[in-house]
Amino acid sequence: MTHLDAELSKLKATVIDMWNLVLRQLTDSREALEKFDKDLARHVLANEKRVNAYELKINMDCENILALFNPVANNLRFVLAVLRINYNLERVGDYIKTIMKIVNDSESLADPEDIDESQIRIMFETTQDMLTEVLEAFEEENAQPIRNIFAIDDKLDSVNRGANAIIAGLISRKPSEVINYLNLLSIIRRLERVGDQTKNIAEEIIFYIEAKVVRHMKTKNKLIE
Amino acid sequence: MKDPLRFRETRNTAFRIIVIFFTLVSIIPLIAVLVYIFRQGISVINWHFLTSLPKPVGEIGGGILNAIIGSTIIIVLATLIAVPLGVTAGIYFSENSRNKGNRSARSGVNIVSYFRELRKSWVYRAAHLGVDVLQGVPSIVIGILIYLWLVKPFGRFSALSGSVALAFMMLPSIIKSTEETLKLVPHAVKEAALALGVPYYKTILRVIIPAGMSGILNGILLGIARVSGETAPLLFTAFGNPFFSFSIFKPIASLPLIIFNYAISPYEDWHKLAWGASFILVSTVLILNILTKLVLKKWKVQY
Amino acid sequence: MESTILRTENFNAYFGTSHVLKDVNIAIERNNIIAIMGPSGCGKSTFIRSINRMHELTENATTKGNIFLDGNNIYEMNPTFLRRKIGMVFQTPNPFNTMSIYQNVIAGYTLNGYKLSKADKDVTVEESLVKAALWNEVKDNLHKKGTFLSGGQQQRLCIARSLAMKPEILLLDEPTSALDPISTSKIEELLLSLKDSYTIIIVTHNMQQAGRISDFTAFFYLGELTEWNETKIIFTNPKNIQTQNYITGRFG
Repeated sequence: MTHLDAELSKLKATVIDMWNLVLRQLTDSREALEKFDKDLARHVLANEKRVNAYELKINMDCENILALFNPVANNLRFVLAVLRINYNLERVGDYIKTIMKIVNDSESLADPEDIDESQIRIMFETTQDMLTEVLEAFEEENAQPIRNIFAIDDKLDSVNRGANAIIAGLISRKPSEVINYLNLLSIIRRLERVGDQTKNIAEEIIFYIEAKVVRHMKTKNKLIE
Repeated sequence: MKDPLRFRETRNTAFRIIVIFFTLVSIIPLIAVLVYIFRQGISVINWHFLTSLPKPVGEIGGGILNAIIGSTIIIVLATLIAVPLGVTAGIYFSENSRNKGNRSARSGVNIVSYFRELRKSWVYRAAHLGVDVLQGVPSIVIGILIYLWLVKPFGRFSALSGSVALAFMMLPSIIKSTEETLKLVPHAVKEAALALGVPYYKTILRVIIPAGMSGILNGILLGIARVSGETAPLLFTAFGNPFFSFSIFKPIASLPLIIFNYAISPYEDWHKLAWGASFILVSTVLILNILTKLVLKKWKVQY
Repeated sequence: MESTILRTENFNAYFGTSHVLKDVNIAIERNNIIAIMGPSGCGKSTFIRSINRMHELTENATTKGNIFLDGNNIYEMNPTFLRRKIGMVFQTPNPFNTMSIYQNVIAGYTLNGYKLSKADKDVTVEESLVKAALWNEVKDNLHKKGTFLSGGQQQRLCIARSLAMKPEILLLDEPTSALDPISTSKIEELLLSLKDSYTIIIVTHNMQQAGRISDFTAFFYLGELTEWNETKIIFTNPKNIQTQNYITGRFG
């Protein structure tokens, strides 16, 4: 193993650590929402600092690797991909923070059946699955499993689009809980963005492994190899 | 563009033919000499010839053993004198010229430093000039000089004075080839040894000289080959001796002298003996040269 | 043991009247790889040749100021003794062509007259060749002359020769400039592996090399030490404009 390979391995391990942290944040935030656990919410908010610290460290490591080793070919694509994945993960962490702030600042939550109807649970589950799958693809450096991520993200988008109508319906039925329902809508929006960031990460992994740039392409094209 | 090319090819071939022709022309005299000496001398060679003393005038037969022994003694002694002096001088020259060349002191260019450089190196320049001059001094002049310095004061001819004269003649060859060979040893080899903490004198003795050994030996053997046939210096120093002699303080016989004496004599069978002695001398030099090439092949260090 | 192994104090070097190194102050820690960089003629080679006092072997070469090895002033030591504690490898590989590979490796001992038993010699030769990553390639040909070795192998032989003396510091003057990329990377890997036991100072023209292997970099410009820092920092954010210009290739 050359010096460069050693450094790249370390970088990958750091990214995986950050990724696992963000996954845990996502899981914890779901629990905090479903159980309306403000302590857990505050715990997640405190951990957000660690996510930011990881982002700074990974940025610096990438800069050093580029400066010291002039990587080319797959090594270069890896570092460039990591730089963007790093940014995307930090954004995910930020959205989770926003969701937790909403939970922390609310006096109450909507009723569980209403939460069910809004399909927030499905969105949480979907984003968790997406993020986990993409992490596996990153760890194993295999782009195959994640090609269907884009279709899943499209479903997430359609749920998001339908959310307006659902929330409007809920508000008209119980106008007194309008604040709670608006909060739910905010959370839905954030979760949709989490899905988007995860989709971006998947695009970066395809770039790294297959040297194909699939950003900004329509979904169908991404399924063709 | 065919014609210009053919013209150039023809010119090329013509040139090559001319070169080969002149090479052959220059080798032919050598071959002619060798063949002639061989034919004239081979009939005289026999065991008796090689192992007995010359007979006095008038008697048939006689040999050249004392001359063979005498030549050997003189040449060995000359080598013993010339080699230490010559190799040391060669080392001095190569070391001092070398330091001027590489890693040159980037001293400021001004009048003072120029003269300082000149003054420091006057020993080198004077000595180098001396060697070049010595190379051109006629052998008979050297003979006369040694006569004045070593024969007259002690009142007798001697093998030692003959050896000293021959040593003088060997010096330029040994010094020059030592210097050139050592200059060819890359500076890097010396640096490698110095960087290992080897003191300077040891670096010269145990690294540089072994590396240049083939060239140095070559110079020595060439010097020997050259002086083996020198007659003029020996005329006034070793003088010649019809009997055996092993003392270096007495006159001694040698092959060139005996050839000279026999060749200018009016006796027919002495002429034959002269041819025999010539044959011995020439073949010894030839064998020496061939041996040199063979032995040095094994030693040669290629850079 | 103090961590600073080499320190220079207002060190100056001259060739005649030409002032080649000006007031160099530097402190080098153990077990690091230090790269010395700078444009041609900036004094880098002079600097490392001063460390083992090879500089003064050139005519008209003088110095001013002090250098301390492990706290001891090198100008108060016997130079040949000093050179046994500091190994040096040169730009063109220079194994002794009159000696076999085996003899080359222990040349430092034999030429200096140290008597070693055959067993000791064998051990030293094997250890040094193993450390220099050359053992497997030559172990069956130890008593042959090294003329069949490639450039990279010859250079590793020179490294083994220096390592056999068990030096504290290894100086390398552009050791891979004359080699092809594969040999270069083998030697770079070798140097990285030696870091744990030796302090390595390497002059290099090749910036990528400095980036790949060195921990600290010293940047010289016109005889002055203009920047001295961790390599990471010099390559991402040099403090001195000349350093930046050199690294980005604006002059060389």
